Amino acid sequence: MGSRSEFSPQTLAVLAALSGQPSAWQHGYALARETGLKSGTLYPILIRLADRGLVEACWQDEPAPGRPRRHLYRLTADGLASATTALAEAEVAAAERAATAARPGASPRRGRGVAAPVVP
Amino acid sequence: MSWSSRIAAAAGRRAVRLVPAARRDWAEAVWAEAREVPPGWPRLAWRAGGVLLIAKEGQMARRIGILLLGAVAAGTAAWGAWPKSSVSLSHGAASQGDVIITLTLLAGLPLLTRRLLGPPDSRAARWLRAGFYVAILAIMPAKAVAEMFVGAVPRGGIDRHTFDLSNSNGGLPVPGSVSGGPDWGGEIFLLFITACYLAVILALTARRTKVAPATLAISARAGLVLGLVVYAVDPLGGEKIATNPWLRGSAADPLVALAWVLLFSAPFVAGALAAQRCHVPDDPGRASIARAWQGFAAGLVCNGVGALTATVLGTSTTALMLKSAWVRGWLYHWHPLTASALYGRELWASEDVAFYADLRDLPDHRDHGSPVRRGVRQQAPSAAGQRRSGWTAGPRRA
Repeated sequence: MGSRSEFSPQTLAVLAALSGQPSAWQHGYALARETGLKSGTLYPILIRLADRGLVEACWQDEPAPGRPRRHLYRLTADGLASATTALAEAEVAAAERAATAARPGASPRRGRGVAAPVVP
Repeated sequence: MSWSSRIAAAAGRRAVRLVPAARRDWAEAVWAEAREVPPGWPRLAWRAGGVLLIAKEGQMARRIGILLLGAVAAGTAAWGAWPKSSVSLSHGAASQGDVIITLTLLAGLPLLTRRLLGPPDSRAARWLRAGFYVAILAIMPAKAVAEMFVGAVPRGGIDRHTFDLSNSNGGLPVPGSVSGGPDWGGEIFLLFITACYLAVILALTARRTKVAPATLAISARAGLVLGLVVYAVDPLGGEKIATNPWLRGSAADPLVALAWVLLFSAPFVAGALAAQRCHVPDDPGRASIARAWQGFAAGLVCNGVGALTATVLGTSTTALMLKSAWVRGWLYHWHPLTASALYGRELWASEDVAFYADLRDLPDHRDHGSPVRRGVRQQAPSAAGQRRSGWTAGPRRA
């Protein structure tokens, strides 16, 4: 049985989206589209990740004409390492669950296991 | 940009200011990003998420809860202190003014302090402010009970008899009516003192005065101890007669002496402890100034907390005793003490009160026109002299 991840499925989704292009700065709306999260869910996750030093944030230097500056995000080195580990654990846990479910006679379990995020 | 979008953007910019400075970037980010979201429902949903974020990060639920709690507490205190219909116009006006001005001070001074000196930035500061607010709100109804008692003519019984004795020149007042008028000077002085204490505490708990949380904690504890000891030693006044029958000793009673020692030494001790806890590295000059400031602030806070604690407990005890004969009897071991006599003890700590017991012992004390009345008046040495009779219900304010 795989150990429970320290991140929620939503947080894992955000980490997956950010680790897809680790060196690139991404903005909130792009992350929301990629993860399917609403702004009220996405931003508290980004705040918690930034508090833990896993995500860094900055304001756009040169905004598009007539547009306000945008807030940009990317993983830190620690964040990238944590994301890689957490996503790998999540994949293993998902595989174990799939194997258990496929075993003959095994009843489908309603657990609180971590859903495997969609890793780009 | 449509007018609705403009309004939403402006509202968002204003709302972002509710979020603590350290989190403000995130709230602004949601609002800035809304321009990239397709207009219509998606943009509205995005902004709704921003509102949720602001509510969460700005601790709106906590703020609204505290505001509601404060409003309920203030409303209850005002209701308790608001003059009832039986009170005379002048007494009623004084009490109404007292309530309105106190509540205005409680609401207005924090806003002024916030603008000038910043908000409180530590848990100790917030708790200290809350304690002061609770204390001032508790004093309001207790003070009103005592003041209304002073102006009221007792309806009957021994209180009425005491009142009549003390009003030998004042005709025959109607039982249950109100005698005399409010002490406007005293009211204004009390409000001024309240405003000063409140302003000092609000200033010392504001961010820019830089009083350390440890200083506030030390001085508040010392002040609390000081107030409790003063109350325990002299619960209803400053003279020994007020503490009878608990302490029958003289003014040099060891406990009374301890209270006086504490009264003057506690702020100094709190100041010394706070100064000792203050550390400013690498600059001896700045360190000594910072220590002096922390010590001074600790002394002020200790003094304020002690005074307010003793006042709240003393005034509340007085109000309880005036309202309840049972409490009165319990505290005084069924000493024959009426509310009138009690008030005399509390307010002036007058030795005249002692004669009330003599009055009770005389066989024909119910005869208003008897020699007993004259005898009592003659026995009370200070009644016609340096101060008014302390055991009267009515003529405090002629």
